[in-house]
Amino acid sequence: MYPRWLWPAFALPGVAWLLILFLLPFYAVVGVAFGSVDPILLTAVPAWNPLDWHLGWVIQVLSGLKPGGVYLDVFVRTVEYVLISLAGCVLIGYPVAYYIARHASRTKSLMLILLVLPFWISYLMRMLAWVNLLSPDGYVNRVLVSTHVISQPYGFLDGKSSTVIWALVYGYIPYFILPLYASLDRIDRSVIEAARDLGASPFRAFLHVTLPLSKIGLLGGAVLIVLPMFGDYYTPNIVSNAPTTSMIGNQIDLYFHGGPQPTIGAAITIILSAFLVVLMGYYMWTIHRASRELRSL
Amino acid sequence: MHNPRRDTTLSGRPRSRRQFLLESGGAVAALSGAGGLLAGCGTGTGASTASSGSKLVGPGGVELSRPDHPVTLPRWENPIESGLAPESGGEFTVFNYTDYIYPKVLKDFGQKYGVTVKVLPFDNIASGITQLASGSIKPDVMNLTTDHLDQIVAAKLAKPLNLDYVPNLKKNVWPSLVSPFYDPESRYTVPYTVTATGIYWRTDQVSDDIAGMANPWDVFWQSQAYSGNVTVLDEVRESIAMALLRKGHTDINTEDPKLIDQAVSDLQQLYGICNVRTLDTQWQKIPENKAYLSQAWSGDPLASVFYDLQRPSDAKLLRFWWPGKGKGPTSNDTWFVCSTTSKPVISHLFLNYLLDNGVAYSNFVDFNGYQPPINEIQPAELVTKGLIPENLANTVLTANDIGPTSLQECALTNAGQALWQNGYSRFKSGA
Repeated sequence: MYPRWLWPAFALPGVAWLLILFLLPFYAVVGVAFGSVDPILLTAVPAWNPLDWHLGWVIQVLSGLKPGGVYLDVFVRTVEYVLISLAGCVLIGYPVAYYIARHASRTKSLMLILLVLPFWISYLMRMLAWVNLLSPDGYVNRVLVSTHVISQPYGFLDGKSSTVIWALVYGYIPYFILPLYASLDRIDRSVIEAARDLGASPFRAFLHVTLPLSKIGLLGGAVLIVLPMFGDYYTPNIVSNAPTTSMIGNQIDLYFHGGPQPTIGAAITIILSAFLVVLMGYYMWTIHRASRELRSL
Repeated sequence: MHNPRRDTTLSGRPRSRRQFLLESGGAVAALSGAGGLLAGCGTGTGASTASSGSKLVGPGGVELSRPDHPVTLPRWENPIESGLAPESGGEFTVFNYTDYIYPKVLKDFGQKYGVTVKVLPFDNIASGITQLASGSIKPDVMNLTTDHLDQIVAAKLAKPLNLDYVPNLKKNVWPSLVSPFYDPESRYTVPYTVTATGIYWRTDQVSDDIAGMANPWDVFWQSQAYSGNVTVLDEVRESIAMALLRKGHTDINTEDPKLIDQAVSDLQQLYGICNVRTLDTQWQKIPENKAYLSQAWSGDPLASVFYDLQRPSDAKLLRFWWPGKGKGPTSNDTWFVCSTTSKPVISHLFLNYLLDNGVAYSNFVDFNGYQPPINEIQPAELVTKGLIPENLANTVLTANDIGPTSLQECALTNAGQALWQNGYSRFKSGA
């Protein structure tokens, strides 16, 4: 017999990792958001003791999220960009993941390597490559002009929302496809065959069997890309630079990048985190319910 | 102005001594040991005013200088003795922006004084000061913009200079910067580069006669034809100052909320007019035809010409305009000796070395593109030598362009900085 503490002890490294690399830094951000500013260096002075917390910065940011507030438009724009990008990832990523999991028998390994390939190159490098490709004299415009699709180079980089959204889709889609593929690959084929045997058309079998069974993978992939997208500031910076396409992450960057109010940057960060906790909560609840259903089988 | 929002803690307990020091003028006296020399300051929360009577007081509690009101900075310790021998051997650390000094210049300095010169880069001045203050790095010299000078003096991050080691300052530098308004007597700094803020454009894309306009800044508000290709500097002070100047407000250090609010609203009009973009790489974007019309520093066209023109003939297409002394912003960078230096003599000699005519010239034309305020460097001469085309001769400033009547973005009070930053945040939000 193993001692009772043995198996829980395996979780210790993970718990320590979480404590040191997530909870502590996050608490530092909370401390900054509720802290003050050094009057000379204008750096944040975190308030570690909750009893010393000031609510002023957080209240200031919350009031900026009211109608007419300075942060409302950029926050709504961020939500729009993230949701549209997520939809783009689902529309493009699901068929890809489905094909690899269900139909790419001989080319499966190659497809998986191709899927992992983007991870070998830094996100920023991939984005910068697109800046060159999409520039007025870049290859994309050259091809479009030479094939008479357009008569003049198109200003992809002129501060367009569509470019930022496509860049988000491009940048994050590998992170979406991989967990979705894993989820689709685990679906027992006999379940789908049973649906077909019972008279379901391929589409109805997909709709009533494959899609529900891949829900966890879909949600996992969505969470994996939505969370960093909400904090993204470099994508709009690289492919646009226009205030009209800025995201809430750009506001955080602005306040953390110098100046007398790093506390506001931290306050925006924790309010954004609180918003994202709702999404995470739904994901956790779905996982919990799925595992409960599995246990009851 | 007092800010009641920041007065109480959740517990309602009184502030600790540390908190009090941090949030009151006492911090200055306690941390700098120069309380008697320094004026009182406000709460230091960034959202508070820091004026004392009619004096403007900065983050460090030091009275703020203006071109027409120079304030001599207090020395927190005596400068090093004259006549000391230079230290030798080991590393000499230069804390600077990436690629802001010619590597050959550094290598030559190292060979001359028998030290290994290492460049430690920072992202921006504010983060550099934070690193320096944390003690995690111990550089010998650091690059600095003048609006942060009061901070580094109050926090004792800079060593007072002994100008006996820096003879090139009086010998070679523009007279107006030998004892500049932001640092009378050059107690802590020597100048490095100077620049003016103006408009940079391509004549093959922009047909307007910008220099001939009654108010050239208006071109941004009439730039529908160049939509998506119009940029302003991604700088809190520069962008808002441009909107202020356009409306004829030459106090580009104002802390009047109404003026800032109006300037930001004016900048926001640019969304609809030209979908304005914000960036600091005009020196690349304009010659690469990725932007047509930009607010820019005078050093940008020079940097473009010196090393970023894919087609040299494009130099003739480039134009720059700035309003001139007293009407348009000028600014300059400086160097100071860090209090962390283990080589104070070599550090002084480094400052002197950068002000050597030959070194400053080479650093300017062979690498940096940003002009040093050296008497010998004259616009006409650069044109004659073929280094810059005649159409960009106005990008090279002269000694007369900086002085008591020039416009310069100076340090603001804490409240002023917060006001400008919040305004810029509104502009950058795209709302």
